[in-house]
Amino acid sequence: MAELRTPLFEPQPTERWVRDLVRRSQRRLEALPEPALVDLLEDALYNERKRLERDEAERGEQEALDRLSRAVVRGGHRERIDAGLTLVARWGEEIHGTFNPQVYKFATRVLPRALTGLLSERPRSLSGLRHWDLSIGRRLIAKGEVEFLRELTGEATLVLAPTHVSNMDSPLLGMALYQAELPPFVYGAGLNLFENPILGWWLRRLGAYTVDRKKKSNLYKDTLKDYSILCIRGGLHSLFFPGGTRCRSGELETHLKKGLLGTAVQAWQENLDTQRRGRKPAPGASSMAGKSARGPEVYVVPCTLSYQLVLEAPTLINDHLAEAGGKRYIIDDDEFTKPRVVANFMSRVLDLDAGIVCHFGAPMDCLGNPISRDRAERVEQALRRRRYVCDADGEVEWDEQRDHRYTDRLAGALVEAYHRDTTVLTTHLVARVAWRMLGEQRQTHDMFRLVRVDAAGRHLDRSAFLRRLEEATRRVREGAERGLWHHDLPGNAADILQVALDRFGRFHKTKALADHGEDLIVEDPRLCLYYQNRLSTIPLEV
Amino acid sequence: MADSEAMRVGILGGGRWGQALGRLVQAAGHQPFIAYEGKAPPHVLPSTDKPAEVTAACDLVLTAVSAAALREAIGKARPHPGNRVVVAGRGIEPRTGVSLTDVVLQESDCVRVGALGGPAPVEEILNGGLCAGVVASPYDEVCRLTVSALHSTRYRVYASPDLVGLELVGAAVPVLACLLGLTRSLRGAGVGVHAVVLSRGLAELGRLARAAGAQESTLFGLAGVGDLEAVHARPGAPYFDAGRSLADGKVVDGPWGLAEALLATGEAHGVELPLVQSLVEVVGGGDPVDAIQRLMSRRSAKEHR
Repeated sequence: MAELRTPLFEPQPTERWVRDLVRRSQRRLEALPEPALVDLLEDALYNERKRLERDEAERGEQEALDRLSRAVVRGGHRERIDAGLTLVARWGEEIHGTFNPQVYKFATRVLPRALTGLLSERPRSLSGLRHWDLSIGRRLIAKGEVEFLRELTGEATLVLAPTHVSNMDSPLLGMALYQAELPPFVYGAGLNLFENPILGWWLRRLGAYTVDRKKKSNLYKDTLKDYSILCIRGGLHSLFFPGGTRCRSGELETHLKKGLLGTAVQAWQENLDTQRRGRKPAPGASSMAGKSARGPEVYVVPCTLSYQLVLEAPTLINDHLAEAGGKRYIIDDDEFTKPRVVANFMSRVLDLDAGIVCHFGAPMDCLGNPISRDRAERVEQALRRRRYVCDADGEVEWDEQRDHRYTDRLAGALVEAYHRDTTVLTTHLVARVAWRMLGEQRQTHDMFRLVRVDAAGRHLDRSAFLRRLEEATRRVREGAERGLWHHDLPGNAADILQVALDRFGRFHKTKALADHGEDLIVEDPRLCLYYQNRLSTIPLEV
Repeated sequence: MADSEAMRVGILGGGRWGQALGRLVQAAGHQPFIAYEGKAPPHVLPSTDKPAEVTAACDLVLTAVSAAALREAIGKARPHPGNRVVVAGRGIEPRTGVSLTDVVLQESDCVRVGALGGPAPVEEILNGGLCAGVVASPYDEVCRLTVSALHSTRYRVYASPDLVGLELVGAAVPVLACLLGLTRSLRGAGVGVHAVVLSRGLAELGRLARAAGAQESTLFGLAGVGDLEAVHARPGAPYFDAGRSLADGKVVDGPWGLAEALLATGEAHGVELPLVQSLVEVVGGGDPVDAIQRLMSRRSAKEHR
């Protein structure tokens, strides 16, 4: 593995981050008219108290809320702001990750092989042991615009925006980035993942910061956004999942959350403003990453993850079907919380060739426009791009409403890229064909009716299935040639079916599709629905 | 750009509509800068035959060319990312069915776009008559700048975020005017048929607007019913007269491309447009009386769906 082309970022003390975060919040709170300030603080108070009805308060947390309560009811302007900032400072400490270059080097150089060795099926003979392939590259395919991204890491700050399938995404993306010889990215990981002390320790030192989705107040969301802005402004390549949580249905994301995505636009404008005024980097920027040699440009990179098998598929699809998204928005009792289950899953999935495909898409600017491959043209593009937010004299024209629309454009461009860059895998296609045939047999495409079909009604004629699969494969290959998507399908329909049946039998207790004598049977219609959903939003008729 | 200061407002198109817009800009206390082809506008309206000069000099640019000519005009003017381009035309490009603001997005790297709709009695405006219009854009600043550039005691400008609705209505009004002209001139068809075509036409276009993500209320505002009744649905108005000619079996210039584009939009959104469909059939050689008979023999339905 070649050396990374850009240096790793250096860790900075938590106090400096918190100080910078508090400064940003202070500016924002001070700019608010009194009624808006009170509204914001009351919202924080209400949401935090609601949260603490379920969660135990941490040390000092209750005191901070009591102080805020007193300030809102009886305090003056200054006291209210100070009480709000106390909360921000607490959250800042919680959010901040502490990247450790030594840990990163160890984790990325030794761990992939060690993990692969530990988690993949071990050879049963001495000769097998000699040929035991420990490289992760065969199992986790990192492809797409890798070369181009390497070139860009030195001249702009990158924001990686992946699809979100599984809790495995963050660690696997870390491996994919290393495999692609890209530098580390800071990323937000759910607070629940940090509750496992060993995993939490690793995550923090691998560049992860915490996101507590149980904290619903606008003040907390603003603090998170500020943190993201500080990271990007500091020249730290950042990663966040714009879809929010893992997609329950298994579909590719079609609607993205704009909050964190909007921080890219904001950070870019602040960079331009700083450059124009010839100021030092904004508060936080220098303290986090040292002086960044990169220019003010911020590029967003779509990244599409495709899994042959998804660890949490049964829980996710059940949640989707139960339409319990509101109540169980944050699943904290799924398969990922059971270390033995995770290890078991990894050993089976990592043993697969191309078990996971990570496709790095074409980078775009903060409005979703493509970035030129030609360096000179990129310089011109950057100058021209400034006019989206600057007047003819180069002065930044701040306009929040306009920025929301720009973020909408960016989100639209990302969704298009996700669909274009998705990789059709055997499990997706076979499940898709099975689901369609099941629907035709039962004369309904209502998913709630189909998942309740009894076992006798879930048999599929094998030869009819193979004919249908052959035609579907032809269309997938045709679409891939036209640039509509990618695929990783072996040989003919019989090969594809065989591979998919093997995959379905690898981990889940019940199979999406299984052999049943001469026929096939949709053994678990819910899983079949989950895996077929991956192709439900691309224009593929099967 | 401070909205209250006098600004230079670009206008692509030096014809009568471009000149009318130029007069409105002057009435609002700003300076128009018109890009023309062929004959120059009167010297009181600053102009050039180099459209790129206009986009370079003005942040706000209004287009005053026909829907069919917009693509070429934008290609020549090359708006830049700092421009806000407001299309003052009829909603949809006839040949492709693409909305006119999408034409601007396709042909340039400008993204802050909007549309100006409502009645545009050009001669009245040029003669100092009073009028009003609606500017729609998802960007507040585009609406704000356009209001600042055009709003005066001569011309009131209302703002709306419903760009999709305004463009759809801009394409629908000529088609509806043509249908009204056709039915008013058919032998045996009286005010009853006129009322049916007017109300059911609005109903089917309202369904289309909802399906396309637009606000139905835009159809009943200044750019919809206001424009239709005041300007187009009367003898002497070109679209109305095109419909009258159809009743006599003559196909003259009319909004036929717009009707087909609306049908395609309806199909894309799964909305049936029986009146527009009938107009397209009649233009294609169908008998207008048969078309009316077929419409009248459709099953009854609830008035408001």
